[in-house]
Amino acid sequence: MSSPRVNNWLIACLMVSILLALVPLQESIHRSRPDRFDPDRQTRLIDPNQTGDRMRFLRKASTPAIIAALGGFRTVGADLLWLKAERVWHGGNWSTMDPILEAVTQLDPHFILAWVTRGWHCAYNLHGEAQIKSEKDFWLQRGISVFEDAVAANPDSWELSFQLAWTLYDRAREHQRAAEWARRAAEFPEATSYAARLCYRPYEHIMDFEHLFPAMEYAKSRFPNDEHHQFLVNRDIAWWTEHRDDPQEHRRQIVIENTARRQRAIDYYLYPDDPYWDVCPNCGLPSPKGSDACQNPACGYVFPRPQEQETEPAEAAAPNTPR
Amino acid sequence: MSPFAGRLILIIALAMAAGVIVMLRRLWLPAAAHAVPSIWRIASITVSEARRRRVLQAVIALVALIMISMLFVAYLSPAEQSRMLISGGLSAITVFGILLSIFVAAFLIPQEIQNRTIYPILAKPVRRFEFVLGKYLGALIVLGLMVAVMTGVLVLILLISDHYVQDQPGSVFDPNLAKVVFAAAMSYCALAVLTALIILISTIGSTTMTIISAFIAWALGSLQSTFLDSIQQTTGFAHLVLILFYNVVPKLENFDFRHEVANFMPISVVGAWQAVLHGAGYILVVLILASLFFNDRQV
Repeated sequence: MSSPRVNNWLIACLMVSILLALVPLQESIHRSRPDRFDPDRQTRLIDPNQTGDRMRFLRKASTPAIIAALGGFRTVGADLLWLKAERVWHGGNWSTMDPILEAVTQLDPHFILAWVTRGWHCAYNLHGEAQIKSEKDFWLQRGISVFEDAVAANPDSWELSFQLAWTLYDRAREHQRAAEWARRAAEFPEATSYAARLCYRPYEHIMDFEHLFPAMEYAKSRFPNDEHHQFLVNRDIAWWTEHRDDPQEHRRQIVIENTARRQRAIDYYLYPDDPYWDVCPNCGLPSPKGSDACQNPACGYVFPRPQEQETEPAEAAAPNTPR
Repeated sequence: MSPFAGRLILIIALAMAAGVIVMLRRLWLPAAAHAVPSIWRIASITVSEARRRRVLQAVIALVALIMISMLFVAYLSPAEQSRMLISGGLSAITVFGILLSIFVAAFLIPQEIQNRTIYPILAKPVRRFEFVLGKYLGALIVLGLMVAVMTGVLVLILLISDHYVQDQPGSVFDPNLAKVVFAAAMSYCALAVLTALIILISTIGSTTMTIISAFIAWALGSLQSTFLDSIQQTTGFAHLVLILFYNVVPKLENFDFRHEVANFMPISVVGAWQAVLHGAGYILVVLILASLFFNDRQV
């Protein structure tokens, strides 16, 4: 046992056995830090209950070599690009912002503020800047897609779920999905009361009473000690209980409440197949459905008859085109 | 690999290692008592030699300057400021720590051979493995002091910023001190792994070769997740080679918690202690190899 040759073999055995022990230990490290090593690389669909493949946005990345080259310094790279985005933003060069912010979110998928800024920038600023409908649709879908990627990469962030819900509700008018994402956001213990109220707002707009009242009850059950929140929810419950069978009154109230922000009101609350209101293509104000002329005395626009309407260009008649 | 298979391999491998250690007791047991004072003496000489190098003090001053310059991002919101200070500060500690470890460790053994100062040491009752371990321990002490000073500067800057930055609704300056210190300590563990590897390379190569190899080892060790991606995308022989290669290169990314700390995310304690355990095993293997190579080296 004491010959040097045997000893050398034994030492070699010792090293091999230690290296062998390190293999399962490394596997275990991969499992305990999925954000960094992500052992489960199966692509799945995203929905509010299953946040799916965390790195799907990276698979779409066009610059994986750069990301790889930065190695452990991705966060610093993201910070430097964020500073660049800040300068570009204040310089008014909005179109350059998106690729910079995309690089930031690829380098640092947990930079929540960068995700929020990027999604908002696409769905609001670039969407608002776009001149034609297809371009508007593109930026809106891109904004939503950004928030979906953000939620997939950060399933523990209530804020990103809320931002996705808000964009779906406020911009895309996909109310059912908006309510589902808002519910997901509101369930986080650190969520704020407006996330809870967003759980039922989308149902108000599609007047889905089957879901509206349970959603309002849920919102009421959250933040029982927040007096302001309880006041708002109770007020809404009382209002809807009173006006449940009077949707026209609901529409009227919304428009009256928003006279100070008329254009926003149109963007927010009226959509192409709105059964109660028509939007004047001249002044942009709503008039009751079936009116011959615009109700705005200063405008007096005469609504075309149905056969005339068919010959109108679709873009001009679209009521929701933001100005 | 399933968790069950992993556990089985771990138990078998540890049992094998324990068996070999018991079988080799006649080799290491008598040497252990003598080795400790020798190793300590060589380590203390290494530390006093390092203290004389002005470059180390210059690096510390440079790191402090970089960290202080990060205070000029004060036009950002408080939350962004804290994020930038933490990620920038921890990255500075990592980068300069790695550069220091390369330039401290790469010169330790080759320079002793080049300057022929190794002869009087080896003429004394000092075994070669004691010399290697002593040099490694000395490098660890020097790097530990450097990392401690750099972390201290970062903590000080975070405390000053926390005092002066006005919090805003929805944006709070969070110095996250405990986790910053934790991330710096983990960076130090990464340096310990890299230093061991540099010592190993320096026992067989020249200073230039050691420095170049150390930079390559650092690059490979920092690209673990990229390695994993490549492993997933390959099949057959290339897949096997990559797996083998992956298990041999140092796992520096295991110790990288900068991202979690800068983004105020929860830290995996299990991941941290497993990384330390993994690093200790890796260092053990590398230092045994270094001792064996140095034992056979003609100086």
